[in-house]
Amino acid sequence: MRSVVVTGLGFICSIGNDKTAVSSSLHTLKHGLAPYAPFSDPKTPVKLIGAIRGFDTSSFDSEDWSWPADYTVKRDVLRGLPPHGLFAYCAVQQAIADAKLTPQDISNPATGMYTASAGSASMLHHNITRMFASGVMRCSPMGVVNSVVGTLSFNLVAAFKILGASCGFASACASSGHALGFALDEIRLGRQERMIVVGGEDGNLEAILPFAGMRALSSTDKPELASCPFDERRSGFVGTGGGAVMILEAEEAARARGAHIYARFLGWGQASDGYSPAISHPDGHGLALSMTRCLTDAGITPKNVDYINAHATSTPIGDRSEVSAIKHVFTGDKTPAISSTKGLTGHGLSMASILEAAFCCLALDEQFIPGNAHLRQPDPETLGLHLPVETKSAPLQFALSNSSGFGGANVSLLFGKN
Amino acid sequence: MMSNTEPIPTQAKPHDEEAIIRESLKRCSAETIEAALQFRLSGNPDLANTIVIGILTRFLEPEQRPKLQGESDHLRLMDDLGVDSLTMVEVIMLVEEILHVSIKNEDLRDLHTIGDVKGYVNAIARGLPPPEKPVRLGIAEIAEIMPHQPPFLFLQDAEIRPAEARGTYKISGQEFFLSGHFKDRPVFPASLQIEALGQLGVLFLLKGKHPDIAVGVPGVVDATKIFLTSCDGVRCTRICRPDDILSLTIHPKRIKHPLAIFEGAITVHGEKASFVEEIALTFDYLPPPAVSEISDPGQAEAPAATPSGPATSEP
Repeated sequence: MRSVVVTGLGFICSIGNDKTAVSSSLHTLKHGLAPYAPFSDPKTPVKLIGAIRGFDTSSFDSEDWSWPADYTVKRDVLRGLPPHGLFAYCAVQQAIADAKLTPQDISNPATGMYTASAGSASMLHHNITRMFASGVMRCSPMGVVNSVVGTLSFNLVAAFKILGASCGFASACASSGHALGFALDEIRLGRQERMIVVGGEDGNLEAILPFAGMRALSSTDKPELASCPFDERRSGFVGTGGGAVMILEAEEAARARGAHIYARFLGWGQASDGYSPAISHPDGHGLALSMTRCLTDAGITPKNVDYINAHATSTPIGDRSEVSAIKHVFTGDKTPAISSTKGLTGHGLSMASILEAAFCCLALDEQFIPGNAHLRQPDPETLGLHLPVETKSAPLQFALSNSSGFGGANVSLLFGKN
Repeated sequence: MMSNTEPIPTQAKPHDEEAIIRESLKRCSAETIEAALQFRLSGNPDLANTIVIGILTRFLEPEQRPKLQGESDHLRLMDDLGVDSLTMVEVIMLVEEILHVSIKNEDLRDLHTIGDVKGYVNAIARGLPPPEKPVRLGIAEIAEIMPHQPPFLFLQDAEIRPAEARGTYKISGQEFFLSGHFKDRPVFPASLQIEALGQLGVLFLLKGKHPDIAVGVPGVVDATKIFLTSCDGVRCTRICRPDDILSLTIHPKRIKHPLAIFEGAITVHGEKASFVEEIALTFDYLPPPAVSEISDPGQAEAPAATPSGPATSEP
């Protein structure tokens, strides 16, 4: 099988809108959580969000939106986008520039694009409301493509004139992990030379607040308590949105063009809990199998793993399930450092997996291990695990990133130093 | 306690209506908004074109907008302005809202140019039936009708209306004369641009429904008896090269057997290429069919009295 490397990263997220800002936030553990005006109603039991800065997508009319001046978005692209489509469109532009690829490198049959998004609840709600109020002939002709699951794929594949493989993935919080895993296989099997993988989430009221109905969100307005994975005071997650992009290339193609290589993408694995549509299995057997399969796929033994970017979202049940899974797989004397960067970013749902995989690539490139922001009173269940509370420079050879989605879908990804 | 005392909205008051129009047209020019407000007050259908072009302009990419200033009827929505069918739906929704009209989906398919849009909206704003659909001809039909044939046929498709014909010709670069015009620098000759307009005139005489064409008896124009006879006021202003698409338009100025006079113009992607104030063609009619052919319904079909095929006589 051909080996695959990561040559481009793009970030529009709560801890920064480019890799420099993101790396800085990871180093200094500067979180991106902030009060969110649409949650200001006292009856709303949630206060914070992982805030995207530099964008205003609050209107339902995309022509009202604003974005940083570094990006050009023409009307014929803009009109079909949901909010996360705009974030992701900018993040793709950023990743393409980062990888130093030309439009010809992007638009050819050997380059594909996989996306992950849950669709846009706000756009869907707006469109259906308008349909009932004013009749379907008064609805935007883009009302389907700007909202339904798949919207990110429809829009970005057209906007970047992708001619290779394309598909949208929807497995909730494991979506962009699946997109990355299948994109890796696409290149390893020789079907594509290059894959652009994109995750996006609106991160607005309609996308986040429904999770409060599941009692999955933290209700505190104190950031250090609202998102504190593995801490015994944790009470739920903080939602966030944005866009995150990774460009994967066959190693020989990347080396031939002299690309900067952030990391090697060595393997992936997945397995399911078969248990509950919404709750992780308490013993984490699905995630444990996913990690084991990932390590086998990459040809790595557990003792070689230096760092795990945990899925841990700061919910009581989910974090404990992951702890159990990690303890099941990593039984030797040398255990990896483990952190959840969601303490900084909030939980990016469909985007979370690729965002965190991209953090791993930055960590491998710059040789550091991100710490657990806000971890002050570790859950007793975590006893025996190495959970650094500060980011430190450290030799880093192999990093594993976990994601778990609704339905007990688990994905693990393994990256190695170039 | 909640009470249900909010007034039920009835007919919008005039100032509400103005606010709604201003909101709906907020990305249109002040002139467009003014015309829309005037239209609501007066119902004057003459304002419809200003409103429609104003709305269309708002949906164009900024670099396309200057094209709509000045004479723009010949501009094609998709090819010249980048207006795809989804953008057309956005335009039409707003036009329907502002003009209080309803536009049928099937009518949309026949709107190819700015002129089509104006003609259509003008008619419906006046409560008239939409303009008659043009006769559309592709290259195969054109070659079958025309006395001209490749490599000297400079029309690839055409639309014929009662008082206008439009056609296009894409310069392929393979035209035989380009190797000599000029050496190592192919330029489509200006004289052949005039020829192409003349050919569109021929097509108009053969397939058009202009009432003055059919005054002769029996009124069927003979394809072998149309010739270009004069041109006046010719101006050629753009060098046309391979891959340029010539958009040709002619309007009849006077048609009276044996002379048909047209005004003609060619643009390339919205830029003026050439203009002819008067291009004159002579024409004549086919001889009336033999009497036997139109009599006695009881008889088996008689063979055609006139031989078909290429004509042998020249004037």
